Amino acid sequence: MKKIVLLILFIFILSGCNKNDMYDKTLFYMDTAIEIKLYDVDEEHANKALSDIEKMYEKYHKLTDRYNEYEDVINVYYLNNVLKVNEKIEISNELSEIINYGIKMYDETDGYINIAMGNVIDVWKEYREKESGVPNLYELDKPIDISYISLTDNIYLKKKDVKLDLGAYVKGYVTELVGKYLEDENINKYLINAGGNVKLGNKYRLKKYNVGLEEPFNTSNIYKTLSVENVSIVTSGSYQRYYEYDGNIYSHIINPKTLFPDNYTKSVTVITENSAYADIMSTYLFMLPIEDGLKLVNEKEGIEAIWYSDQIYYSDSFDKYEQK
Amino acid sequence: MNKSDFILILILSTVIFIFYLFLNDKKSYAYVYYENNLIKKIDLKKDDIYKVNGYNGEVIIEVKDNKLRVKKENSSLHLCSKQGFVNNIPIVCLPNKIVIDFNNNEYDVVV
Repeated sequence: MKKIVLLILFIFILSGCNKNDMYDKTLFYMDTAIEIKLYDVDEEHANKALSDIEKMYEKYHKLTDRYNEYEDVINVYYLNNVLKVNEKIEISNELSEIINYGIKMYDETDGYINIAMGNVIDVWKEYREKESGVPNLYELDKPIDISYISLTDNIYLKKKDVKLDLGAYVKGYVTELVGKYLEDENINKYLINAGGNVKLGNKYRLKKYNVGLEEPFNTSNIYKTLSVENVSIVTSGSYQRYYEYDGNIYSHIINPKTLFPDNYTKSVTVITENSAYADIMSTYLFMLPIEDGLKLVNEKEGIEAIWYSDQIYYSDSFDKYEQK
Repeated sequence: MNKSDFILILILSTVIFIFYLFLNDKKSYAYVYYENNLIKKIDLKKDDIYKVNGYNGEVIIEVKDNKLRVKKENSSLHLCSKQGFVNNIPIVCLPNKIVIDFNNNEYDVVV
């Protein structure tokens, strides 16, 4: 009899740490579905956290939106399309910090991550949407120099008609903030997937998180399985958004040095602690020849990467994340 | 073992059975492993033909009406293609080092 009671108890305990305490929500901001899963947390706390997280994504969505204006918000749309050249404006701390992060990353990435690229990205976007033709250099000859932007003490000014585009890291940036928020709230077991920008907390069971990497252009096929926790994972790939013309693939990532998309790899996936940095680095590596990218990653601490090209390339310590 | 024990076991097994059914309902995917590495996730709701590479060459997998079979593979006994359509028992193609499993061994996330 005692044994059976114990068995029942055991089963309840098992089921208790299995499903009952996982809360999830899918949000839609920044042109993407954002999946949040919180583990090992009580219902009230989970609901509060999920609602706070939604507010964070919504706030940053509005701040960084390039295509819409909102009441009472000075956002990227405003800075690009309403603000006049050489006119000063005070922006919020949040927007200021996110722009400053981009400016810092310009130096960090040797100018490959350029938040002033909006004008050129817009030209390519038009071509991508009509899925035909390729812009010529004359069309692409627009102001994109980051030095035309100045931001001191939240005062923003543009010296020429440059357009900001924070697309290279905004999802990763906000996801990082959300991760920090969760950790402050003592919710340490979580999974965030903001359209491929994945941030993972502590594992919620004996095994770590199972992360599958999908094959570019054949996404039902998983070419690599990772077993990880407490990392951010971001993939940049030509298969995510692109168009095909004349037998060539033109991806959405435009190299600021050449003003054209690159084709060194079909995808590159970065694993590192900080989600914003993972987002930046995957975009940066996508624009570099693989051997240069490999060298760069291997010289840095705390970052690993995998490339899916003519073959699969790994950085030196990538295998520590592979499922054994 | 008296009567109450028996009743408890009965209740318990019913609960487990219901729980199992519930889990079973979610098994809409099959996972294909080559040498213990997951190489493909197959949606059983979609009738289709898949090709994966086994140790002796191509292994052709067919999905039909939520079930799956190995249609063609290169081995001497053809044990796994003789198994026919299944949706719960794993298929093991030993000579090809291929295992097809239906366990809810779902990924936490795929990117």
